[in-house]
Amino acid sequence: MDTTLVAPPAGAGELVVPGRRRRRPRNRVWRALGYLAMLVAAAALLLPFYWMVMSSLKTNNEVFTIPIKWVPDSAVWHNYLDIWQKSQMTTWLRNTLILSVAVTALQVLTGSFAAYGFAKVRFPGRDLLFLGYIGTIAVPWQSYMIPQFILMSKMHLSNTLWSIIFLQAFGAFGVFLMKQYYESIPDELLEAARIDGLSEYGIYRRIMLPLSVPAIASLTLLTFVTTWNDYLGPLIYLRSPDLRTIQLGLSTFIAQYNAEYALIMTGSVLSVLPIAVIFLLGQRYFLEGIATTGLKG
Amino acid sequence: MKRSIPTVIGLAAAASLLAAGCGGGSSSDSDSASGPVTLTLAGWSLSTTPEFKTLADGFHATHPDVTVEVKEYDAANYDTQITADLAAGSAPDIYAQKTLKNLYTYATGGQLMDVSDVAKKLGNSVGGLDAYQVDGKTYAIPYRQDSWVLFYNKELFDKAKVAYPDGSWTWDDYVTAAKQLTDGLKAAGSKAVGTYQHVWQSTVQGFALAQTPGAKLTSGDFSYLKPYYERSLDLQNAGAQPSLGTATTNKLTYQAQFGKQQAAMLPMGTWYIATLLAQRESGDADKFDWGIAPAPQFDKSTTGTSNTPVTFGDPTGFGINTAIKKSKISAAKEFLAYAAGPEGAKALAGIGITPADTAAVTDTFFALDGMPTDELSKFAFAKHDTKPENPVSKYTAGLQNILNDAHTAILSGSKSIDSALGEAQNRAKNEVLNQ
Amino acid sequence: MTTLPGVRRRRSRLVWRNTVVGWTFILPNFAGFAALTLVPVVVLFYVAFTNWNVFGVADWTGLANFRRMIHDASFRTALQNTVYYTVLHIPLTLAASLGLALLLNRKLRGLGFFRTAAFFPYITSIVALTYVWNLLFSPEYGPINGFLRAIGIAHPPGWTTSADWSMPAVIIVGTWREMGYYMLLYLAGLQTIPAELYEAARVDGANAWQRFRSVTLPGLRPTTFLVAVLLTIGSFKVFDVILLLTNGGPGQSTLVLSQFIYQKGFVENQFGYASAVSIVLFAICFLVTAIQFLVNKRRNA
Repeated sequence: MDTTLVAPPAGAGELVVPGRRRRRPRNRVWRALGYLAMLVAAAALLLPFYWMVMSSLKTNNEVFTIPIKWVPDSAVWHNYLDIWQKSQMTTWLRNTLILSVAVTALQVLTGSFAAYGFAKVRFPGRDLLFLGYIGTIAVPWQSYMIPQFILMSKMHLSNTLWSIIFLQAFGAFGVFLMKQYYESIPDELLEAARIDGLSEYGIYRRIMLPLSVPAIASLTLLTFVTTWNDYLGPLIYLRSPDLRTIQLGLSTFIAQYNAEYALIMTGSVLSVLPIAVIFLLGQRYFLEGIATTGLKG
Repeated sequence: MKRSIPTVIGLAAAASLLAAGCGGGSSSDSDSASGPVTLTLAGWSLSTTPEFKTLADGFHATHPDVTVEVKEYDAANYDTQITADLAAGSAPDIYAQKTLKNLYTYATGGQLMDVSDVAKKLGNSVGGLDAYQVDGKTYAIPYRQDSWVLFYNKELFDKAKVAYPDGSWTWDDYVTAAKQLTDGLKAAGSKAVGTYQHVWQSTVQGFALAQTPGAKLTSGDFSYLKPYYERSLDLQNAGAQPSLGTATTNKLTYQAQFGKQQAAMLPMGTWYIATLLAQRESGDADKFDWGIAPAPQFDKSTTGTSNTPVTFGDPTGFGINTAIKKSKISAAKEFLAYAAGPEGAKALAGIGITPADTAAVTDTFFALDGMPTDELSKFAFAKHDTKPENPVSKYTAGLQNILNDAHTAILSGSKSIDSALGEAQNRAKNEVLNQ
Repeated sequence: MTTLPGVRRRRSRLVWRNTVVGWTFILPNFAGFAALTLVPVVVLFYVAFTNWNVFGVADWTGLANFRRMIHDASFRTALQNTVYYTVLHIPLTLAASLGLALLLNRKLRGLGFFRTAAFFPYITSIVALTYVWNLLFSPEYGPINGFLRAIGIAHPPGWTTSADWSMPAVIIVGTWREMGYYMLLYLAGLQTIPAELYEAARVDGANAWQRFRSVTLPGLRPTTFLVAVLLTIGSFKVFDVILLLTNGGPGQSTLVLSQFIYQKGFVENQFGYASAVSIVLFAICFLVTAIQFLVNKRRNA
């Protein structure tokens, strides 16, 4: 549409303004509405978290008052020091970090590798096998938790961090996610590479991996968060107090000190912060990355 | 076709291990003869539940060649974790029975040793032994027997100008007092209410089952619950007691409600005594004049200090894992006997725990700092006919589940008492009792 | 089709090569998966036909567990509640997450902040957030009802304390929590749509809505399929939100299949029966997923 002097059709109700300025007032209104919508959405999404942060700075009595208190009378910053002494937060953080990093690395590597096989290599029985993978996602974990636990115990893995790593690292979810993204990469690119003499492994390394950065980044983030927040797994597999993760540690803390509401909130806030920071800093890279430029031209 | 699931899994595991090139199979344990023995004991929340360490250390003092190593489990999910470990064969030698209703499963599943010989040697004053019997054999030995009593705040009673409980109360007297307290406290400018009944199903159902003559859980007839729920709803509607909805969503804790003087009365188990004493010291509870009275009774026939009040409570005991090494069995049995006997009882009373043998320790118990000194409190602690909340049977776990749903339905106002109990009775008949 | 023997041999050699290559790609993940997930799942299928109580011996009981399920009123309740949750949760979450992704896919000031805000509910510990939501939903003193009373609703709902409103409360919390997660998947999917397609459409005179329908939606098809499948399975299997928020209550108003399985298995130690119910849940999920698969395949063809 050109933006030269053109009179708008009668009855449009717009000012006749020369040049590009004809578009601006409408755009600005939409933009403002968009911002408003986002602010309302952000407020709704963050409200519970706001209450958590405020409560982490209260004294215990102020947390569950009737009616609800939105701001503490005087901020008890000391809670953020006390939590390290009263609970074993450092141990929990360390364990959770080890698990999250290990599981994420393994899931992304093996998952994307397998996804390429499922997406771009044609071999008999492929689709049936893939359906089997997806099928296990449909089985609720509580159901086969016990046979799985017995299996791990017989391999002498229970009550070690390895149990959680092996448990989560070979899931079907990563394969599923990566396969869907690989399907959006056109086959012609691969055919061209094959004609050029690249092996399948070469194609995977030189073409698929660089192109799928947003998907890999998403998988990394989601796996990291899922492992970070996993509650049932550590509950069933870990016994020693020095193996506890944040979720398990928080839950035992709540059971032991169930009236220490403020500290519980402090612990909860601390458990979210690392991921929030990682996400805030990296979200643009996660989501946009270099892939879009690779597909142009 | 009988198949042991662990065997099936073991075969599968062996196959996969073989494929992975590792060696499988466990080495057989050699029977060690005499010499120092280490027993493993499963407990929970060690830093706030000192009873396990106390018993472990006390036993070691009298049996120097036996060390008891306490393994910590998660208090809120103890049974889930123990079940998982037992299924995998890695549970400790001795494990505490935290919830009575699971005893049946452990016993019939072959996870508890028959300890009837230990039970025979214990005196009559050890309460709760019958609760651990299945088919005439005893499978665990109680080391503590809590009962439900009525805690009350003397200072709030004074403020509201209501007479203290004197041991002669029935439930109607209790309701009247709660309402009087609420009105009196409001007039005196206090925000406290008359009573706090915690959200658990046991708060209402435990009393109903124990006190109603002829009431039987496994009969599937739950009409004995009706008068008790009518009273609870009455208290909620009168504002003398926070509603179940408020208590659940605001996560009210009974320790804070009574300890911080938000309620003048609290029906609760005697385990709360140790917590209250500790919290008074740490400042998590206020320091005020308090006492315990016998629980309100069904009718006048069991009230008064010349009768024995009827109340409920489940024992907590230790059981021996059937997978224990043969050479350790006698040491384990001695530990069980110690924990239930007079020495164990004294050690427990010293930290404020209600042992299974209360007669031996009333004086020790009441000599603790912060305990009430009046005669009624001592009477309430020492004399009671305590019936189990969870009578042992294979239906108990399923029935309690159904009754818990009825409990939340009634007290949240979602269903009337008659329709909730009627539905519970139907479900009991169709889902549990026909198995 | 008749082919020369040389060509046939070459084709079978190609198939063989592809099989080897395909399996080497799959193997690292599949080995772990088979050992740690497939084996226990197979055992689960076996246990469903027994009366295993988790300790020791399991007697084969054939179809007894399934017959019991048919007459079990609680099972029917759990099934109804699960469908209730799924039918509302899926479209709400899909719409919300797609909307968020579209809203946050442009150059705006503070974009990073808004995206992080959307993702916050998912990364917060579920133990903590169900704690907080219960408080917000408190019927007498919570702010939600306070707000409703302020705008004139005299008798606001009881939310988690009322049998009628507990499921809507759970759906609200579930959707709130998962929007950010699926928004992320949609955002990554939006990046794969080349900008030239939008340009071309604009040049052709399409307005925003038409561009959405002819460029965005088709380009998002693989992502929508992924989201739909995951969302469906996740909704049928919903567990931890319910366990921590309402524990199936009040009464049985929020009892869902996963929780029914957990109760029967871990609380009442009837693992055989719990396994049988798991198989039914699995069958439902699988059926729905298979249908989605077929629809997707037909669309792609």
